Amino acid sequence: MFRYIFKKTRSSSLKKENNHKLQGVGQGNVCNVPLSSDLCKNLETIKGILHDSSDVTVHEFNFGHDRRSRGALVFINSLADKNEIQKNILQPLMFGSLLLSNDADMDFNSIESIRKNLVPIADTLIVALLSDLVGNLLAGAVILLIDGSKEALAVRVGKGEPRAVDEPATEAVVRGPREGFIEDVNVNIALIRRKIKVPDLCVEKLVIGEKSKTDVYIIYFKSVAAPELVEEIRRRLNSIKIDAVLESGYIEQFIEDNHWSIFPTISNTEKPDKVVAKMLEGRAAILVDGTPFALVAPMVFIESFQSVEDYYSRLFLASVMRFVRILSYIISALGPAIYVALTVFHQELIPTMLLISIAEGRERVPFPAILEASLMLFVFDILREAGVRLPKPVGQTVGIVGAIVLGEASVQAGLISPIMVIVVSTTAIASFAVPAQTDSGTILRYIYLALAGIAGGFGVIMGLLVTLVHLASLRSFGTPYLWPVAPLNLSGLKDTFIRMPLWTMSKRLYNEKGSDSG
Amino acid sequence: MGKKTSKTIIVLILCICVLSALSGCLGGREINDLEIVIGMGVDKDKDTGRILITAQVVKEAAVGRSSGNGGGDGKAFWNVSSTGNSVFDAIRQITHKTGNRLFVSHNHVVIFGKEVAAEGLQKYIDFFLRAHEMRPTAMILVAEGRAADVMDAKPETEKFPAMNISKLAKSYGFTSHIYKVNMKDFASNLMSPASAALAPLVDTSHGRDKESRDINVSGMAVFKNGEMVGILNHDEVRGLLWVIGEVKSGVLFVTSPGGQGNAVLEIIKAKSRVTPEIKDGKIIMHIEVKEESSLSEQTTAENLATDEAFEKLQKATEEIIRHEILATFEKSRELKADIFGFGEMLHKKYSKEWKDIKDNWDEIYPTVELDIAIESKIMKTDLLKKPASPDEKEK
Repeated sequence: MFRYIFKKTRSSSLKKENNHKLQGVGQGNVCNVPLSSDLCKNLETIKGILHDSSDVTVHEFNFGHDRRSRGALVFINSLADKNEIQKNILQPLMFGSLLLSNDADMDFNSIESIRKNLVPIADTLIVALLSDLVGNLLAGAVILLIDGSKEALAVRVGKGEPRAVDEPATEAVVRGPREGFIEDVNVNIALIRRKIKVPDLCVEKLVIGEKSKTDVYIIYFKSVAAPELVEEIRRRLNSIKIDAVLESGYIEQFIEDNHWSIFPTISNTEKPDKVVAKMLEGRAAILVDGTPFALVAPMVFIESFQSVEDYYSRLFLASVMRFVRILSYIISALGPAIYVALTVFHQELIPTMLLISIAEGRERVPFPAILEASLMLFVFDILREAGVRLPKPVGQTVGIVGAIVLGEASVQAGLISPIMVIVVSTTAIASFAVPAQTDSGTILRYIYLALAGIAGGFGVIMGLLVTLVHLASLRSFGTPYLWPVAPLNLSGLKDTFIRMPLWTMSKRLYNEKGSDSG
Repeated sequence: MGKKTSKTIIVLILCICVLSALSGCLGGREINDLEIVIGMGVDKDKDTGRILITAQVVKEAAVGRSSGNGGGDGKAFWNVSSTGNSVFDAIRQITHKTGNRLFVSHNHVVIFGKEVAAEGLQKYIDFFLRAHEMRPTAMILVAEGRAADVMDAKPETEKFPAMNISKLAKSYGFTSHIYKVNMKDFASNLMSPASAALAPLVDTSHGRDKESRDINVSGMAVFKNGEMVGILNHDEVRGLLWVIGEVKSGVLFVTSPGGQGNAVLEIIKAKSRVTPEIKDGKIIMHIEVKEESSLSEQTTAENLATDEAFEKLQKATEEIIRHEILATFEKSRELKADIFGFGEMLHKKYSKEWKDIKDNWDEIYPTVELDIAIESKIMKTDLLKKPASPDEKEK
């Protein structure tokens, strides 16, 4: 019977893959046609491809010897910086060309010669294919077309209004750099470059998204990151077939190792210093235009419990805090489950006086403990979800109402026992101590709670075993997820449960083949 | 990858299915449905002669409230009793009064009435050892009168009499005048053909008035073959504890060298070693006791903090300890009860000879000779170096 189920699931997944491929083929409509030498014809074609969109400006002008040469600028209003166009493209072309008009070598019908002599802008590109032209145009470039030339010049004068580099909201630090990534990927790369001043840092560009054509960058240290890792990331990125990449989460979901695991196998961060630190350990970063969240792969489980501040502050508190985080994660996943298992199945394990006070608190509660716990957890999740989406002042109201009405009143009304409120609120607070694993903790909490309700401590242990087996089987780009605990790596343990002094951590651990200088 | 993950999911689902099928036998119980028993008493019903079990059940509702507004008598416990043909029967009969099953995993003490103890505990104790919910670490005690009366006496600082009684037994170390015995130890002594079992004896006779009775541990009951045959008083208990090395602390009164008053010593540490020897058909037990104490109080003006005084005091202490041990041994001889566990020691060292001795041990035990060597040492005089009286020499 199970074999049958396997077959079913396998064949259905195959079908899905096929569908995907077919869709990909159907998309290829942009013609790889070369440009014509006739300006009017080119303009007509471009307008046709863009369906006469109203935000496309076509500006025709004359220049050169006695204004005999005809040219045209094509750009998208909203993306191009008009000031820049007037000052640095139109002015030199229309007036500067007059100075050169007696020059015998100057050929006003050659794009190459115009680029070299008349366009005082560094970021230009000569395009010969219509598809390239349109691609650049839509990416914000100004296209210069000249009558009689089979090439066009794409001048990148994109007008961006990047948000100021700001402290990231999700990863605030007490000690450490306060800058965070922004939506503009060029700024983000600059933030990384500014920290690392060696040519070793490689930045590879890919374009992903049938419609969005999003710039995606793989960044790594050539001498540190394993070539296989970079190759594998490249391969996975290249195989993505998607319409648009609106956030790095899209990329993450396509390239992660196990799509059905509740544990993330690719980490994300908003902090350049964190990205650089991880790259120095041999990882590779993936930056996506349009989002401040950078991806870093591979990821191991223990990374979730590490914080940049562990390394910035002195090691004693850092080590203690690491224990606190690990303990918090255990509480957040197991808290309610252990409470239910103990109070429903294993009352003999509770010290007598504690048992008596638990019993006293539960005296008026009409629900079984498992229902009581599920209700409270559910209410907490509602509160959290509502609080996150609401604007700050309203969000606070939700918090207060939640705390007073649901915490205080439900106990007074005898619906919930006071100890359950303590258990659930401790669990809730603990779940935020490890941001990277909040998702998995939330899901595990419900699973363990159900198991505890069915079979008590036995059920919880079974659940833990399954989780452990799953964690041990996970890989992130070839790295075992439980590294350095399983497989055991003694020098890796120096930065696992405690943080040893920085000078003791002299080996690069994630990459055994790369150079070992550090 | 797809195959592997779907396999994991199926395994997970299977696990949950199997677990839910098991839930029937694992049997969760909500706390609300439990009657938490913290102490049990075993008596004989006066009229019918059947077994009377008294269970001390926690009244959860009354625990948190101060007495008065809690309704009822403000007591946090409920002594509920019922008779039956056996202990188990009587415990189940109690459910007719409580409505819920008794939850005995938190039972801290089992108290047997004197009548029951004299009759023999063997037939009463079986259930307490056999039932899986019962804790083998529960304290076992014998009541001077009826167990139910002891459990009624409301303590002043504790909420529950049962907890109070178990605390009394556990705090034996302050005087070493009593000893704690839990179910497990009691049972193993009961099962041993040689040793006699002991259990602390509680009474409630010392009371200011009828309402508030004080619970007092007055000594230890000695059991032979499950029957209570005698009582050891406080000093005799300490005589026993010296030998088995269980003296934790306590107070020793030693007459001061000048004879005008007493030196009061606090026992800090005591160790013992017992080596049995069979020589010319005689059984000799070599008992070595090492004791350390401090001078905690003196009721005389002499300066006891001198080497000579210490010497004398130590000698006197050794004599006192020897005397205590011998008195206890004398008592056990009378009772023909091997409370020291000499039999087991012989068994271990002379296993061949033991086979012959075993059957007549009761007769042989009174003929055992003791060779007692005691080493006592006064370690310190606490905060005073001299007594708080004018120095004689300086006068």
